Amino acid sequence: MTIPKKETRKGTTVRLKIGALTAGALSVALVASGCSKTTEDGGSGDDKKAVVQSGLISYDAADNKGPAPAVEGGVKGGNVGVLLPDGFEHLDPARAYVNVASLAGQLLFRSLNGYREDGKGKLKVVGDLAENPGTDVNKDCKVWEFKIRQGVKYEDGSPVTAADVAYGVARSFSKNLSEGPHYIQQWLADSKEYNATYKGPYDGGADLPPGVTVPDAQTIRFTFAKPQCDMPYAATMSTTVPVPKAKDTKTEYDRKPFSSGPYKIKSYAIGQSLVLERNPNWDGNTDPLRTALPDTFTWNFTLQADQVAERLVADADADKSSLSWVPVPAAQLAKTTTPEVKARVISGPTQYVWYMTINNNRIKDVNVRRALNYALDKDALLKAIGGSAAGTPATTLLSPTVGGFEKYDALPAPVTGDPAKVKEVLGSTPPPPLVLAYANSPRRAAQAEAARKSFEAAGFKVTTKAIDPTNYYTEVGRKDNPYDLYLTGWAADWPGGGTVIPPLFDGREIAETGNQNSAYFNEPSVGAEIDRIGGLPSETERAKAWAALDKKIMTDFAPTIPAYYDASYTLIGSKVGNAFQSDAFGYPSLMNIYVKQ
Amino acid sequence: MSVTPAPAADEPYLRVRDLRVQFPTEDGLVRAVDGVSFSVRRGQTLGIVGESGSGKSVTSMSILGLHNAARTKISGEISIGGRDIVGMDDEKIREMRGQDMAMVFQDPLSALHPYYKVGVQIAEAYKVHHPQASKAEANKRAVEMLDRVGIPQPERRAKQYPHEFSGGMRQRAMIAMALVNDPALLIADEPTTALDVTVQAQILDLLEDLQREFNSAIIVITHDLGVVAQIADDVLVMYAGRAIETGSVEQVMRSPQHPYTWGLLASVPSLHGDAEIDLVPIKGNPPSLINLPTGCAFNPRCRYAGLNGNRSFVEVPELRPAGQDGHHVACHLSGADRRRIYLEDIAHAGVAQ
Amino acid sequence: MVRFVIRRLLLAVTTLFAISVITFLLFFAVPSSPATVMCGKQCSPEQIAQTEHRLGIDKPIVEQYGTFVKGIFVGRVIGEGDFIRDCPAPCLGYSFRTDEPVTDILGRTIPVTVSIVFGAAVMWLVIGVSLGMTSALKRGTVFDRFAIGVSLVGASLQVYFFGLVLLLVFVYSTGLLPTPSYTPFTENPGKWALGLLLPWITLGFLNSALYARLSRAQMLETLSEDYVRTARAKGLPKRTVYIRHALRAAITPIITIAGLDIGASLGGTVITESIFGLQGLGRTAVKAVGDLNLPIVLATVLVAAAFIVFANIIVDMLYAVVDPRVRLG
Repeated sequence: MTIPKKETRKGTTVRLKIGALTAGALSVALVASGCSKTTEDGGSGDDKKAVVQSGLISYDAADNKGPAPAVEGGVKGGNVGVLLPDGFEHLDPARAYVNVASLAGQLLFRSLNGYREDGKGKLKVVGDLAENPGTDVNKDCKVWEFKIRQGVKYEDGSPVTAADVAYGVARSFSKNLSEGPHYIQQWLADSKEYNATYKGPYDGGADLPPGVTVPDAQTIRFTFAKPQCDMPYAATMSTTVPVPKAKDTKTEYDRKPFSSGPYKIKSYAIGQSLVLERNPNWDGNTDPLRTALPDTFTWNFTLQADQVAERLVADADADKSSLSWVPVPAAQLAKTTTPEVKARVISGPTQYVWYMTINNNRIKDVNVRRALNYALDKDALLKAIGGSAAGTPATTLLSPTVGGFEKYDALPAPVTGDPAKVKEVLGSTPPPPLVLAYANSPRRAAQAEAARKSFEAAGFKVTTKAIDPTNYYTEVGRKDNPYDLYLTGWAADWPGGGTVIPPLFDGREIAETGNQNSAYFNEPSVGAEIDRIGGLPSETERAKAWAALDKKIMTDFAPTIPAYYDASYTLIGSKVGNAFQSDAFGYPSLMNIYVKQ
Repeated sequence: MSVTPAPAADEPYLRVRDLRVQFPTEDGLVRAVDGVSFSVRRGQTLGIVGESGSGKSVTSMSILGLHNAARTKISGEISIGGRDIVGMDDEKIREMRGQDMAMVFQDPLSALHPYYKVGVQIAEAYKVHHPQASKAEANKRAVEMLDRVGIPQPERRAKQYPHEFSGGMRQRAMIAMALVNDPALLIADEPTTALDVTVQAQILDLLEDLQREFNSAIIVITHDLGVVAQIADDVLVMYAGRAIETGSVEQVMRSPQHPYTWGLLASVPSLHGDAEIDLVPIKGNPPSLINLPTGCAFNPRCRYAGLNGNRSFVEVPELRPAGQDGHHVACHLSGADRRRIYLEDIAHAGVAQ
Repeated sequence: MVRFVIRRLLLAVTTLFAISVITFLLFFAVPSSPATVMCGKQCSPEQIAQTEHRLGIDKPIVEQYGTFVKGIFVGRVIGEGDFIRDCPAPCLGYSFRTDEPVTDILGRTIPVTVSIVFGAAVMWLVIGVSLGMTSALKRGTVFDRFAIGVSLVGASLQVYFFGLVLLLVFVYSTGLLPTPSYTPFTENPGKWALGLLLPWITLGFLNSALYARLSRAQMLETLSEDYVRTARAKGLPKRTVYIRHALRAAITPIITIAGLDIGASLGGTVITESIFGLQGLGRTAVKAVGDLNLPIVLATVLVAAAFIVFANIIVDMLYAVVDPRVRLG
């Protein structure tokens, strides 16, 4: 078998997942990085250590067959309440991208692949609708084949077929249904402009996108022009949710998507509530991931974050079987310290890492960049938005939730910074004046102020510049932007380094505008290594290699300052069983939750 | 219909004896009325004359019992039809108000409620004292009264609002409202001040007419001596809350005895008399009712105050007979002095007649 | 009266037009594009262009405005090809973010705001006016001073403070009242009232302060009017004098102020809605502004303006009905 030629990952457009952020706070999100949640707190709670992932994509029969492993102590019945301010913008699988929509989608839909999590750090990609996470037919990562399980039925009892999966992929090409992720579409079209030619099955378009074939009712094949070894990850996304053509109501699909999962929509009042009840045609034996213990799920969209926290702290009878998908605001954190409440706190790192990005076009001296790393007071940066419940100081480019994560510290310093070391590293170079840009919201302004103070204490002269939140990323995404430092956040779309390092640190992606590599870091050796890793045969090897590249980039080039790992801090009611923070989505998953009787 | 039993025919319907009305205020005790006595018979008209602040309106309000009992100290006697209302329970006075005694106010535009039709307001005055009457009866009576006071097309007018009436008609309507229950006593407080001269005369004629018909006792309060001359039988001149001269209209107007009265008459232009002579105003201002001058209240402004040595400044003059029967004056000047001064200073100026 | 109404309606329509033009212009004066806001970081310039085309904001502003106006009167067609949708008059478009018809959004948020405001208005008028009128009648007494003191407290408190205190006391600590929520009146009047009780009390108490002071001042002034003296002179019982003569006159200016106040409040009681977790017009408007969601922004601004304009007209008409001296000219 020939070893596949190393191909560039140019075709791979990595998208920022608007994870860890509820739809309603989207505008706040764009405040900082297009995605951040509104955590503020006074800092209680121990930082749950991020546990290193292992055994990432599993083809083990044990992992891939249904039914899902029994939940210890789990009982059937009851209603789980989910308190979610502002609700969902989109439930349509082609248009859902935020983490809460994905989490709700786990109950309503089956996608080709899915995540198995046990709350103890073991996250695996297994086949959900598919019998296994995908067969690399020619062992070149260009042709992927999935076999749909038998016996999977929609809410009306009709069988799920491969053609439905293909149709689901096809409709996601439409520009009218464009809010979802676009990995598979771009890989099929072999272009960032995924719908330049094929525009979906509407207005006379073909039902099958180019590169997708359905050899028989249970088989679907994807053929990519370039190797895409991350396809098993991409296939977990909602793009691969089956949608029967006859049930496609286009823009109305958001209101009433057709269920292929264990639950279906009973009622949906926008701005008020969503109620799910059992899909009587779901067969647990076909499902390796879900135990579907509760009878119903009820989302309440009418409350604000502080009211959610109040209710869950109070744990009145009506709320005992509820949980929240919004972090506890700063004001209520003090109420969560009593032992009874503390036991009901769900916290831990999310997929987000925040960087104090350095503009390498302007700060070209690696020693200055190292000095900046020593100067930044990461503790103050976190305290400005609430302290340890908001996150923990970071030293790596990759998040602890990413598979193969390895902790290192290339530039060790106390979390409050090390002004002495700054001087030592700078040596005779005079500290240059710095322009620090920030999104103009109260939280980011507070953080900018904390950052400014620490840089000035280390001897730099800093001017701060406020940018309108809706414009922030556009501004720093300009290659010739006039700023030296800006806080940016990034979340992996799936727990793999391939969605972090290439988009952020591959200099060949840099354009005039719209840059995600806002450090403007361009190092040919790094580019070459990115290509090499992309061609490695196994996910485990790739994961290890990404971690090594992470360390190398920071040690040799220090193009940015890893500031902190984002954390989530929510509450559950006392009757909620088996709730844990999903490493993939940042809030508790509902797939194996139950109501204690 | 009057509620009180009719007194003996020659008894005055209204008798006021030594009425004192005081208002305690933050600045001090205001002595608005300081010992006033008079009486009015049915069929008789009394004119009360004085400047603003002389106490004439306060007196009339006391007769109707309209002062706020919590903020007013009233002593003396006010007998209406034999019943003394000083100290009477407010509810009992209320029953008499509008029925035994009624009042016509100065500015009919502001004295009538702008939101209600005139007929409705008159009917209301009737119904409160005739609770058995039906709405139709009350309305009929209202129209009758409007007719009686000389308003043309009374049915139409009854359905109009006060602002749709002319000034004179409004005052007529007020009079109609005051008389709707045939009160034995009618008080008219500056009834013509807000009206044109020609309309004034009509209103005064109307009042005389109505008095003849209803045999009511009328008190006309005014600062206008012309009004007094036309309509009053008797006159009471008030100054600083005190009665300073009383008598019949002829007595007071033709042979006034008090320097203040001289001043009042002298400041009124006359169609007779010498056109070349200057009007003689009374110098000075009305006194503060909180800090009345000691002795005769008029002494700061009286040209003749010094003629009695110290007496004017120390002793309050009592009402004493001033020559003719029924004519009284409160002044320290001797009768002889008064006659002399009158002939020299006053008579030639052409007193308004 | 008819001529007056027609004239004012014409003026109202002109005003609303002007407001819609200004809103349009202001919206497009913002440097960011709704497409960028919606797309997040994943957008390439071509994607943004596509989204702008889908939203219809790539067309010249004048054309967009014309289409908008046409939609209101005649209805219009939105989208292209298989995604074409008929939007019957009055068409206010679809939310940029969720594709929900704006008329639906208004349909579910306006009743919430209207319910909040009218319930609270009844409360603040009843409490405020009765407190104020009674204070005037009992001027100088303990009651009067107490009432003034209470209304001063009410005037100084803020909604976000008082509302939260009430929530803490009545809902979270003691559980005496259910968490505020909106149930449509037609569905369950009892639940509707119970769910809105706290917002009503909050707004009611705070706003009653103004009306208490106002009514008291008005009543005191009216009590010194000549016609009140006349009423007493007629021998009318106190109650008749106070109610038929004094109150009736004193209340007129309060009607004006209350009417305009209510009209303005209907534009959206944002803070109240946020504190009590009610999805009303105000909250929706604020969120839409942050999202650069033009159709919703336009609709909410116009609705709020319409409320104020019509409140003005109604108040003027009411005044003419109450006070016969007023001629509508």
